[in-house]
Amino acid sequence: MATNLSSASLIKPLVRDRQTEADIPSGYGKTESYLLPKDPAWMFLFWEITQSTIDYLKEQYGTALNAARTIIRLHDITGVSLFNGTNSVKYYDMPVIFEAKSWYINAPESGRAYIADLGYLTDDGRFILVTRSNATAIPPGRVSNVIDDKWMIVEGDFQKLLKLSGADYIGLGASELMQVVGQRWKLTELTPSGAPTSWSSFALHLDKVQEDEDIWLNADCEITIYGSASKNAIVTINGQEIELKDGKFTIHRHLSAGDIVDLPIHARNAKGDKTRRVDIKAVREPGK
Amino acid sequence: MGNEKGYLALVLHAHLPFIKHPEYPDFLEEDWFYEAMVETYIPLLSVFEKLTDEGCDFRLTMSLTPPLCNMMEDPLLIDRFRHYLNQRVELSAKEIERTHNTEFASVAHMYYDKFRRYQDLFENRYHGHVLQGFKKFQDMGKLEIITCCATHGYLPLMVHKESVNAQIKIAAHDYRSRFGKNPRGIWLAECAYNPGDDKFLREEGIRFFFTESHGILHGTPRPKYGVYAPVYCPETGVAAFARDMESAQQVWSAESGYPGDHRYREFYRDLGYDCDYDYIKPYLHSDGVRRNIGMKYHKITGRVPLNQKQAYYPQEARDVAAQHAGNFMFNRQKQIEYLSTLLDRKPLVVSMYDAELYGHWWYEGIDFLEFLFKKIYYDQDEIKLITPMEYLQMYPENQVVQPSMSSWGDKGYHDVWLNSGNDWIYRHLIKSAERMMELANRFPNAEGLLRRALNQLARELVLMQSSDWAFLMTTGTAKEYSTKRTKDHIKRFNELYEQIIGNRIDEGYVFNLEMRDSIFQQMDYRVYSTAAKEAVLAKY
Repeated sequence: MATNLSSASLIKPLVRDRQTEADIPSGYGKTESYLLPKDPAWMFLFWEITQSTIDYLKEQYGTALNAARTIIRLHDITGVSLFNGTNSVKYYDMPVIFEAKSWYINAPESGRAYIADLGYLTDDGRFILVTRSNATAIPPGRVSNVIDDKWMIVEGDFQKLLKLSGADYIGLGASELMQVVGQRWKLTELTPSGAPTSWSSFALHLDKVQEDEDIWLNADCEITIYGSASKNAIVTINGQEIELKDGKFTIHRHLSAGDIVDLPIHARNAKGDKTRRVDIKAVREPGK
Repeated sequence: MGNEKGYLALVLHAHLPFIKHPEYPDFLEEDWFYEAMVETYIPLLSVFEKLTDEGCDFRLTMSLTPPLCNMMEDPLLIDRFRHYLNQRVELSAKEIERTHNTEFASVAHMYYDKFRRYQDLFENRYHGHVLQGFKKFQDMGKLEIITCCATHGYLPLMVHKESVNAQIKIAAHDYRSRFGKNPRGIWLAECAYNPGDDKFLREEGIRFFFTESHGILHGTPRPKYGVYAPVYCPETGVAAFARDMESAQQVWSAESGYPGDHRYREFYRDLGYDCDYDYIKPYLHSDGVRRNIGMKYHKITGRVPLNQKQAYYPQEARDVAAQHAGNFMFNRQKQIEYLSTLLDRKPLVVSMYDAELYGHWWYEGIDFLEFLFKKIYYDQDEIKLITPMEYLQMYPENQVVQPSMSSWGDKGYHDVWLNSGNDWIYRHLIKSAERMMELANRFPNAEGLLRRALNQLARELVLMQSSDWAFLMTTGTAKEYSTKRTKDHIKRFNELYEQIIGNRIDEGYVFNLEMRDSIFQQMDYRVYSTAAKEAVLAKY
């Protein structure tokens, strides 16, 4: 539906709905998880883990679980017809708090298919599965580099058509629609081929702020640095050279409690006579 | 094919969520329907009648979503709308006297004349059934009525394909019962497309759907004609038509779009607030709170406070609408002329809008459409109006491209319907769908009360799945109502589910829900069976 047709508030109910007294359930008593696509960069995972599942696992694995970390193991299953838990293209581990019940996952690559496993990672590196999600695919968010032999395209004409189809509206003023169009088109504007990127695995350090019965808080933090640079440019982050794929890069960095990081990004052209620089600083205060 | 250089397909998406509250004597959110009836749907029919009388041919594609069709045919809502319309006629007649010899005389006359005409059409031409009006123009070949997901359900966020299959099947069935043929096209709710869902469209005989621009631009392989020709989905051959952003922006833009012209009607200054309280009270809701009643006497004027708005002159505004229609046509001519130098076929520009923009938000949008149809028909022969089916008949060969997942919402994907403000609903929507499938599989041939309970369970599920609730939670308008509706359907679903599996169905409870959530009288819960889904997937 479009525009709101009425902004008015609700008339006070005259007759009570028979069911309004009770609220909706917080769960359905079954250990399971579902993964939904959001956009080319994000997915939404939600889950329910019952106490009996936890009890069962504790009985099975005993003390190994006490020291284990709870993680999402995100499997890239693109092109895998039947996923068996180990045959994914690659996987990515990220820390998670089971009690959160849902999590937005930053997808390492757009245009891929994923399955998310929730489980324990033990000190000796074993993964203990708690629940496996459905498979979901996220869109590429850019123009395809697959060319159709039967429908040959003149490159110049195609670029013109792309522009005519909406790219012209980027950043032309402040109206709502233009903003919307602009945001949409940022994705198209990326280099129209290839995929990102390197994904650096990060340490798993949940910031547990003193637990007590009445109040507790768990939080963690990860930052994503991404960008693009001219072809053949040499790019470094904090002095370390990073690999560009089709001119783009993405770096994920975990921030531990009390971390103060400086991440200067430098680029220099192949000849070495021109440079550009972007400075990023991040601070994570310790838990209180 | 004539001498025209290219084609314009105008597409209007007419939709409202199913809102009906028989348990209250009057209900605020039901007004959305009455307002849209009197400001958009009947005025559109009035334009179609007029053009036809004058011999002016036109082409328009319009979705009439299943919830909207159900409301248009609901006896209670028809009665209540009749009352709403009678009240407008009565008030506008009084207003002619009150505004006599004031600057508001012409606008008061305008309302009276329009309300009388709409009343005449509603009562005497369509006998309370406006769908008959739309069907008439479809049968004449001028209007292509397309369907939509059953309750405007947001397909890419449905994990179970059984749910997708049901949203399409229920919609197609509803369409056939109303229009006597297969729907040839569909408006996927929010233009939200998920690769592969076209299989379920194909199964129902649906030949085309619409996507946002990047649905095709980001398709694989690269689309040769950009958004200016449809593409066929692989395996199913269902055609996808994408939105043209240039023509969208001319109408939609809040800043530079036509609707912002200072001579057009101001939406936020309304008689419901302006008139003496005792005079206007009979036309307000029973709680007596001042609200918009849909009669507005001022023009936008400029960036001035509401109390400094100037009087509205209908003829002046109508003249501006004619100018804007001329400008819109001129821009399409230029656009198509240029495109035809880049394409080796006649380009197609697809202009898609929410129907309620015309008339409800942009009051003169109805006049704009009337002028646009006339100008295109009488004043030129460079561009021609066309429907998607007519285009496909002219150009049956099209590139095969897998469209990308996309929607026409903010940022182009699912953010509006999946964010921290509404993500809690999916736990329940998905679980309920799973439970529905479980029961459909368990009871392949239910009869009697069990069958009624299962059908009602399916109604609660589809109503819960309306994308409108998640949308309203995000925009913040009617957040309370949309949250309550979602929770109500979840609770009713769970209660009914427990009754069914506990073998203790309360007939009174089922009856109560059948009266309230009365959408899809022909509902058949077996549409949720896994076998029904597998049957489709096995074919393509």
